[in-house]
Amino acid sequence: MKRKSHYPYWFMLPAISVFFVLFIVPTLASLYFSLTIWDPFEARFSGFENYVQFFSEPFLVRGVVNTVGFAIVTCVLKTILGLLLAVLLTSGVWGQGLLRSIVFFPVLVSTIGVGLLFQEMMHPTQGAINVALSWIGINGPGWLTNPSLALFSVALVDVWRGVGLATLIYIAGLATISPDYYEAARIDGATRLQQFWRVTVPLVWPATTTVVMLSLISGLRLFDLVWAMTRGGPGFSSDVLASVIYKQYQSGFWGLSTAGNVILFIMIAVIIAPLTYWFNKREVES
Amino acid sequence: MKRRQYVIGAVSFAVAFVIFVIPFIFVVINAMKSAAESARLDFRLPQKWQFWQNLTDVVQARDYMLLLAYFNSTVITVGAVTLLVIFGALVGYVLQRRPSRFSSFVYAFVLTGLMIPPAVVPTIWVLQEINLFKTLHGMILIQVAYGLGFTVLLYRAFIASIPRDLDEAAIVDGARPLQVFFRVILPLLEPVTVTVIVVQSIAIFNDFTHPLYYLPGRENVTVQLTLYNFQSQFVSQMNLLFMNILLVTIPPLIVFIFFNRQIVAGMTSGAVKG
Amino acid sequence: MSRVELKQLRKSYGAVEVMKGIDLVVEPGEFCVFVGPSGCGKSTLLRMIAGLEEQTSGQIEIAGRDVSFDEPSKRGIAMVFQSYALYPHLSVRDNIGFGLSLARRPKAEIRQKVDAVGEILQLGPFMDRKPKALSGGQRQRVAIGRAIVRDPQVFLFDEPLSNLDAALRSQMRLELTELHARLGATMIYVTHDQVEAMTMADKIVVMNAGRIEQVGTPMELYQRPATPFVAGFIGSPRMNLFDGDVARRMGCDVYGIRPEHLLISESDGRWTGQVRHVERLGADTILHLDVPELGALVARTDGNCSFHPGQVVQASPQPDMEFFYAAPG
Ligand SMILES: Nc1ncnc2c1ncn2[C@@H]1O[C@H](COP(=O)(O)OP(=O)(O)OP(=O)(O)O)[C@@H](O)[C@H]1O
Ligand SMILES: [Mg+2]
Repeated sequence: MKRKSHYPYWFMLPAISVFFVLFIVPTLASLYFSLTIWDPFEARFSGFENYVQFFSEPFLVRGVVNTVGFAIVTCVLKTILGLLLAVLLTSGVWGQGLLRSIVFFPVLVSTIGVGLLFQEMMHPTQGAINVALSWIGINGPGWLTNPSLALFSVALVDVWRGVGLATLIYIAGLATISPDYYEAARIDGATRLQQFWRVTVPLVWPATTTVVMLSLISGLRLFDLVWAMTRGGPGFSSDVLASVIYKQYQSGFWGLSTAGNVILFIMIAVIIAPLTYWFNKREVES
Repeated sequence: MKRRQYVIGAVSFAVAFVIFVIPFIFVVINAMKSAAESARLDFRLPQKWQFWQNLTDVVQARDYMLLLAYFNSTVITVGAVTLLVIFGALVGYVLQRRPSRFSSFVYAFVLTGLMIPPAVVPTIWVLQEINLFKTLHGMILIQVAYGLGFTVLLYRAFIASIPRDLDEAAIVDGARPLQVFFRVILPLLEPVTVTVIVVQSIAIFNDFTHPLYYLPGRENVTVQLTLYNFQSQFVSQMNLLFMNILLVTIPPLIVFIFFNRQIVAGMTSGAVKG
Repeated sequence: MSRVELKQLRKSYGAVEVMKGIDLVVEPGEFCVFVGPSGCGKSTLLRMIAGLEEQTSGQIEIAGRDVSFDEPSKRGIAMVFQSYALYPHLSVRDNIGFGLSLARRPKAEIRQKVDAVGEILQLGPFMDRKPKALSGGQRQRVAIGRAIVRDPQVFLFDEPLSNLDAALRSQMRLELTELHARLGATMIYVTHDQVEAMTMADKIVVMNAGRIEQVGTPMELYQRPATPFVAGFIGSPRMNLFDGDVARRMGCDVYGIRPEHLLISESDGRWTGQVRHVERLGADTILHLDVPELGALVARTDGNCSFHPGQVVQASPQPDMEFFYAAPG
């Protein structure tokens, strides 16, 4: 005879069933559907055809490469800028609180709003950015019209929008470092730069882990900003996996779209798993 | 404060102003111009201020679509956040209080949602099968599924700080499991619940991608979708586009002003755990 | 007021057995104290009686009824927790009345019972405050009030005084003893403080590593400790215990003599030793001696004795106050 627990598992039933039906089932189903030629009417098994296509059609390959590039560039920029901003905004400068709010606010604003706004500001001739550049004698580029620059421009806007979150996480991380370490380092005669490299960077490592992971994952998954600013254009030059998935879905190539989704899972797993391992190891060692 | 800190602060302000504030000023100015003026996309102040005119034009556009969109977005946000709070707190509670292999498994499962992007087309297929495609309640449940990982993470961490003695005192007092949860635990979750509500409301209100997939159709528009659709409609009326951007920016601004602390707590506590 | 009986009670966490077959009877109206070192299983035993922890095997009877598998609220017990476990969001009044309101008693009845309890514990002025706005002693009283209002057959206390400072602790000790006299209820009280055990208990249960070492009245345990463990645990300062060669020379496996049962003189005695350290407590003086024949020896003498460190003295045990134990098992 066993008494019932006071924490019954059925408490989790509503949440878990919603999660299971609307997240786990589609995720598992995607593994099958990615192996089919699937349109709104039928799904026909086709083996690895979709995957082969993904890695042979140049515009699809472009999407995969762009996704990785975009994630790495935004991740690096957010991490470095986030740490520097956090150091600045915890050093007791004048107006620190307001500055933090200013840097953070874009995180909360509609991505579509931000995308459309920058689309206008990056207009090649009339856009505010190029007009401002012309005042100092620079002939600004076609930020979103130049195929080799479009994705990078989107990345810059993504950093503009997301650096506030990285900063916030770093500020929380810096707050956990005891001032004793800096005092000890000062007594040992460390310069400010040495303090940054020898004390701040190692001790803020858990925050770095978080910032890198979060920005990589969100970079790999990004859709709305690209869609609002370029729709993957000009041509396919700024397509990322998420926009390819949407375009293929819209054109009725559901199997191909789903294969893109599976490639995105795998890519996230392949990039995140070793990183997690490496970060945790460094964390334990230091 | 040292002089140095004033100087650095002032310089930072100037830079932050140019980079982060000017774009918003740009929106505000252009939202008040006439169509012809705003087409020049510059920073000059409007010659003719027409805030009300632009506002009513945007609201009335396409048969008051913006009002419908605000209504739909509000229904989705309120519905999803309500469910997330109750479901998430229950899951976080059981997972924290009842460590077992099953609990670890469930927790790991729920957290995968934080990392893995949803498989969109198969989700549409599932939604069609259960007749929830293109419905607001389908969208609500989708947002619950996608927001669950973060919510459970926050609740589980917070509940760990509530001593188990409280549950046991209530059990000795004769409380049944649901009573322990609703009468003792839930009232103590207020701080983290405010965080969950604020952070998830913003995320769900701002979500564009998922309504785009799961809520096609004119009667289902959400705020982000109208904003996106208006873009093609307003090519010759930039002032209205900017007015619309202004309108979607104001709700988060208000929330930010009132709940700054909770947002910061949520963003960092959820994140630092990874 | 009821009898509690435990029969062959066992508890394992996975492969580790932390409770190794407990048999115990607590008589109606008795104040029974579980003592033992940290980790010996006192809390676990108490929580099994409460029903918060399920026994692996064995039986629990309260008032002649087998409650082994009953819910805690159906056992006729009330519990006071070490952390008090007051509901932070409820006022003192609602804390005390929580159980009654769960049982859907009429409002008027709840109010009247809660007020009566508040009266007993002198909580009147605090009834509408939240626990946060109370001192440690007041919180303690509320926790006790929450137990009293349930009108239980058995009160269970898990180290209820350990969060209080020394002065408040001795005051609460007195109040609890008075409360016991007034209510006449059966009480089971866990502590690791042997002073609490000695001063409050009708019956002391000394536990060690998941077993009961000895059960008895405070004076029985003091005068006739059954094992070296009990001998060392009850009494302050601790009894001097010697094993190995020293004990063997006296014809046993463990030899014990309490500090207060040693006579110290400058002239003659059984053992010769040197004073290493003198602790003056006022009424008493504690002497730490180095005795070549035994090792370190602690003795208690008069408050105004004149011994000083370095002095050579003689020590003798009082007759009939020595303990000779054979090896356990
Ligand atoms: N959930 C558990 N899992 C495994 N072992 C446990 C668990 N709870 C208690 N124990 C073990 O059971 C033993 C008894 O614990 P218990 O809390 O009853 O000790 P105690 O006598 O109350 O000690 P203290 O005076 O420190 O409160 C300890 O060795 C403890 O490590
Ligand atoms: Mg204990």
